[in-house]
Amino acid sequence: MKPTTRSLVVALIALSCLALHAANWTQGMKEGKAEFKSISQLAFGPEGILIVADTKAAAITAIATGDTTPAKETKALKVEGINQKIAGLLGTSAEQLVINDMVVNPISRSAYLAVSRGRGPDAVPVLVRVKAGGELEAVSLDKVKFTRGELPDAPVDGVVGEGNRQSNPRQESITDIAFFQDRILIAGLSNEEFASTLRAIPFPFEKVAGGTSVEIYHGAHGKFETRSPVRTFVPFNVGNEPSLIAAYTCTPLVQFPIKELSPGAKIKGKTIAELGNRNRPLDMIVYQKDGKDYLLLANSSRGIMKISTDNIEKAESITTKVADKQGQSYETIASWTGVDQLDKLDAGHALVVRKGEGNALNLESMALP
Amino acid sequence: MVQPVRLVTSAATLRASLLLVGWLGVSYPASAAETSTYSIRWNTNSTPPMVEAVGLNEKALRQLQESNWQTADWQKLLSVYAGQGDFMTDMSVPAMLGSYQVADNRIRFQPQFPLEPGVRYRAVFRPSKLPGSGEIRKADILSIFQLPAIQRQPTTVVAQVYPSADVLPENLLKFYIHFSAPMRGGHIYERVRLRDEVGKVVELPFLELDEELWNPEMTRLTLFIDPGRIKREVKPLEDIGPALEAGKRYTLEIDAACTDSAGLPMREPFRKSFRVSAPDREPTSLASWTIKPPKSGTRDALTVNFPEPMDHALALRVIRVANAAGRLVEGASALADHETRWSFTPQETWTAGTHQLQVQNNIEDLAGNNIGKAFEVDLLEPVQRRFTNQVVRLSFEVR
Repeated sequence: MKPTTRSLVVALIALSCLALHAANWTQGMKEGKAEFKSISQLAFGPEGILIVADTKAAAITAIATGDTTPAKETKALKVEGINQKIAGLLGTSAEQLVINDMVVNPISRSAYLAVSRGRGPDAVPVLVRVKAGGELEAVSLDKVKFTRGELPDAPVDGVVGEGNRQSNPRQESITDIAFFQDRILIAGLSNEEFASTLRAIPFPFEKVAGGTSVEIYHGAHGKFETRSPVRTFVPFNVGNEPSLIAAYTCTPLVQFPIKELSPGAKIKGKTIAELGNRNRPLDMIVYQKDGKDYLLLANSSRGIMKISTDNIEKAESITTKVADKQGQSYETIASWTGVDQLDKLDAGHALVVRKGEGNALNLESMALP
Repeated sequence: MVQPVRLVTSAATLRASLLLVGWLGVSYPASAAETSTYSIRWNTNSTPPMVEAVGLNEKALRQLQESNWQTADWQKLLSVYAGQGDFMTDMSVPAMLGSYQVADNRIRFQPQFPLEPGVRYRAVFRPSKLPGSGEIRKADILSIFQLPAIQRQPTTVVAQVYPSADVLPENLLKFYIHFSAPMRGGHIYERVRLRDEVGKVVELPFLELDEELWNPEMTRLTLFIDPGRIKREVKPLEDIGPALEAGKRYTLEIDAACTDSAGLPMREPFRKSFRVSAPDREPTSLASWTIKPPKSGTRDALTVNFPEPMDHALALRVIRVANAAGRLVEGASALADHETRWSFTPQETWTAGTHQLQVQNNIEDLAGNNIGKAFEVDLLEPVQRRFTNQVVRLSFEVR
């Protein structure tokens, strides 16, 4: 879902960062039991380090999976009824199982799935690995090297003491995470204030100090800019500018420079495409084909979009009202139906979780379009 | 031949006996090979229940105890499967996770997770996989087990929907739906609808998020109106139109098919009918709030009246009271009169002096306007470069 580098330039930057940090990625990690209240979103960092977002605990955990044996070759993979098979493994029915996210370890090419066993307040989070040959296993988190940081609420100046001692129903859902160079980027959405937040946390971290919170505005509705939550994003090099391309819930595609992600900053994003209404973006990857970069975006109702990045650095921000679609051109890949989860498997393939027969979900490798 | 399994021993508890009611627990050889002395028992005296293979001889038990088997080896001998309601699927689901041990003359499998009501579990014991055994001709033993689905009457209802007023602005941002018991997530957007005054379902009015915005206890759902469907001065998306229009009536409907955490539907569906008024595009201002201070020496409530309803969750969370020393006063806050009146009852009696109402500037009215900041920012005005989670203060005297 979120590869770490996008083009040669970014790859070189990343390589230099890797050289600087090579020995330090697991700095501050302790061995023990990694505990979770939920496992909502996943992303891979360097050296098989899996970044796990726990929405219920408002925390981020980085786990050294030790899954660092490079895959020799990528074989076609299809696990039919992956939801039923995981439900079977966990001793429940597929109806009581939720797949929250799926990512591919870029080294071993094993798939990792964030799963909830149950749908109620006592749902149990489980991390499941699907090896290249299709074998399922629950990843034991009882004895792993990990580091965990809690995401603090935005500090409130000048407030001292407990005040109203009532339970706090506020929760910030983590809608997407990505690892970029030496930072973990986290998009969040509160169940109370309607605002999009993005945090950039330096990695490795021993604790998340303050974090970084930004508000992003985009201009897809004519005269006004609207606060709206980011649903999914990818780091991408626009020209020489390391940027984030973020898909919002209603569905503008917005670009903004990563360097502007500084504490307390208010960033005005540039709307580079409006992908049409009655639609929700679900997941996004970047890949190369025939020497060109493309974004591949899975949607709730407009299928899979293959979006051109030609001249993206020269794109004008869309600030006028949009009847339906505008900006970067895209083609809809009709054969990729029912895709819920998407990540890059290798240079030529994606791995998806998509709807199969009945209530089955299938895990499938697909040739990139 | 199908034969019921003796599930409880003479030492079984009454609790276990009661649990037996409604069980389906049968075991039988999978094929007609040699008659077997082995059987499978579902031991519900432990939590979670254990699955046991009994009838093994001493030699086999000793060999198993001395073996250094990994889970995969044990699963070849005894494995338990959670049925998915379809024969072909059931043949391909992996064995359930759990741990194995040999004790009390039997093999015990302890599932990692509790057994779920309504799921049909299948245990298979394969004597032919016993170490070094001459049991190669012994048939597999199969046993099926099911905890009964919960049969009680539905009791959960929608306890309240906020905003509670029956007139709401055209650019309303969200509803909070409070349930009387914890709920199950998933499919909620299929079970919540908005109808216009002729009963027609409004198309996609809500921001549908995979995350489904529940509170941690799963008793409150936040339902955002899709910001792309909120009517603006410049009409946004011409072919679909706004979700709510001033002057019209709408009904928010919540299906009885929503399930609570026990898997039961709601006792009844819920409807909230409301009229839509003109949009509210003005920032909120504390200058228009009126404070009625309490008397010192009492635990009377401090009350604050707003000129317009405020967001229920935020008003309860971000308004606090500080005493003359600047310390927050501990107590409980409440909202009344359709979220236009906030009150605060302290734990201790009030002391005389200048107090402060401290309000975080992220408090919202029903249209998402904050203190000094409207929900929508006009592009013609410069974008504020920094934001902070500031606190705005209003002083009042306790005498």
